[in-house]
Amino acid sequence: MKSLLKLLVAHIKQFSRQRAALFWTIAFPIFFILLFGAVFGRIDTASFNVGVVDQDGSPVAAGMVAALESVEAFKVKIGDSGGELDALNKGDRSAVVVIPPGFGQTISQGSRDNVTVYYDVTQSTSQQVVLPIILQVVDGFDRAMAGAPTLIGVDAQSIQARHLRAIDYLVPGILAMALMQLGIFAAAPLVVDRQNRVLKRLGATPLRRSALVISTVIFRLLIAVGQAALIIAIARLVFHVPMLGNWFSLVGVILLGTLTFLALGFLMSAFAKTEETVMPMLMVVQFPMMFLSGIFFPVDMMPDFMRPILNAMPLTYLGDSLRQIMVGASALHPHYVNLAVLGGWFLACLLGAVRFFRWE
Amino acid sequence: MTFRQPIALAHLDGTQRRSMSTIVEVHGLCKSYGDVKAVSNISFGVMKGEVFGMLGPNGAGKTTTMEIVEGLRIADSGNVRVLGLDIKRNSRQIKGRIGVQLQTTALYPYLTVSEVLDLFGSFFPKALAVDQLLGLVKLEDSRRKLCLHLSGGQQQRLSVALALVNDPEILFLDEPTAGLDPQARHSIWEVVEFARQRDKTVFLTTHYMEEAERLCDRVAIIDYGQIIATDRPQELVTQNFREEAIEFDLAHRIEKEELTGLTGATNVVMENGKVTVYSTLVPATISALLELAKKRDIQLTDLRVHRATLEDVFLKLTGRRIRD
Repeated sequence: MKSLLKLLVAHIKQFSRQRAALFWTIAFPIFFILLFGAVFGRIDTASFNVGVVDQDGSPVAAGMVAALESVEAFKVKIGDSGGELDALNKGDRSAVVVIPPGFGQTISQGSRDNVTVYYDVTQSTSQQVVLPIILQVVDGFDRAMAGAPTLIGVDAQSIQARHLRAIDYLVPGILAMALMQLGIFAAAPLVVDRQNRVLKRLGATPLRRSALVISTVIFRLLIAVGQAALIIAIARLVFHVPMLGNWFSLVGVILLGTLTFLALGFLMSAFAKTEETVMPMLMVVQFPMMFLSGIFFPVDMMPDFMRPILNAMPLTYLGDSLRQIMVGASALHPHYVNLAVLGGWFLACLLGAVRFFRWE
Repeated sequence: MTFRQPIALAHLDGTQRRSMSTIVEVHGLCKSYGDVKAVSNISFGVMKGEVFGMLGPNGAGKTTTMEIVEGLRIADSGNVRVLGLDIKRNSRQIKGRIGVQLQTTALYPYLTVSEVLDLFGSFFPKALAVDQLLGLVKLEDSRRKLCLHLSGGQQQRLSVALALVNDPEILFLDEPTAGLDPQARHSIWEVVEFARQRDKTVFLTTHYMEEAERLCDRVAIIDYGQIIATDRPQELVTQNFREEAIEFDLAHRIEKEELTGLTGATNVVMENGKVTVYSTLVPATISALLELAKKRDIQLTDLRVHRATLEDVFLKLTGRRIRD
């Protein structure tokens, strides 16, 4: 017990004295959030530019424009059809609403007419956020015109909660990435300690090996929780990323995820003899997971043939799980599936590590 | 030169000696790595309170033998008892009572010297104070230094201090002074003297003859995984030599028989242009040698005479010199 504590303190001291380690575990994820936040966050949080082309000019059309302008999240730009669609193409508009000529007259006669909404399918925010709001505005306007009383109001909050900004999507992904790195990179010091015969030297004392493993695991879990707290705090304070779920389940998933990747790290350290072989090995495992497991962009953007790879990766499930808990994103997999897959990976890696790990 | 009690006990009969003072007992030890026999059928004993040295060239099996005794490697066959306990069954218990220094141990680079000593101390039921350990290996001034910043000699001294951390009954030192400058070497020798004064047992390996002669009460000479002689250093010399050694370097070829025929010469060993002629009549042998050199117009360089040493014993027994 005494030696376990001392080992833990030794880990923490060694960690805090290495600038590179500090950078990778603390500065790097923060840098990632700030970078992504700067790129995606501001556009999303300020407002959406919605172009309106009024080809009608009737009071009805003007009322429609006013209704759109009343939406807080919209910055309505009024222009001609060519200019606005051009702006949409350039990405300067999230959507363009075109009110056709004769719209006011048709409506006044009690007939049906359509407004046309142009949007960019590659801009996921347009589909997920802007379009529903426009539909709702049009719907509301429609009822008002028809003189039907508004019996059912829509809580604006619920719209806010359901839509997902890019930064909301990214933050749980960055957290998942950070936990993965923290876990698998446990392999590196282990291999170095074996290579430098530190493990052998420890083996010449009565110290139990379990104390060595447990101290490493506790150390990494502590860092994981600290890192997660930091990431969540920054996401919340700077980019107002919500935390919708239960804190206990969040901590639980963070711990399970870290343990899974720690086990994977231990397993990998069994197959590398030197520091020079373990680093490329970690990269080979790390990068495909980072880019294919949907932690940075939604998996439905990936081609179908990649699905099996994606579905095999533990990071997919950790990211999905964190995203569900933190920002209430729609699930790729039900929660129990995420936990079961992570748990399965954990057990498999653990058994493999126990089977193949060598102290010398 | 005085030999202390455990050595005197060697004169008692076998069974009594074993029960009273043998602290390390090795019987029929064998260990192979693949096809290479690192250690083949080694037996020896280390007695309580003595400084026991295993002397041999690199790759002779010293480290393998020592690490089996320390419980770090498993022997293919043979019995090892340390402190009266079987190493296979009581390894952990034994590890608590011995101190081990390994070759080339890089330590925690980002911990300070004091912190590493404190950490290792926590692995044992009892530990010496960090200050005392620092004093023993003269690292007081480096206590706050990160291990990263230690010189090779300082690292080696720290490694020895770590072996002393639990005030061990047996101190194992594997090539403790290899590659060290004379000053650092002396500070390690002082640690061995300190252990001797406290009646500790020291088991060390070395390929330095001088070190073995100076430090060890008894020496086992090991070559190709086998012990070829075990005794007190002085005994080994007198048993093998009544003669003194004449050494010189030879640039030209000369037949061994010509040298063997010199007056008083008993044995000649030639190796890589270095010749050692053993003689019981040194002045006569030298004048005969000089005459031969003059007659054959041979240049003798670096000619010197010395009493036989362990180096000569090794040379005589194996036909080779111990080299780094």
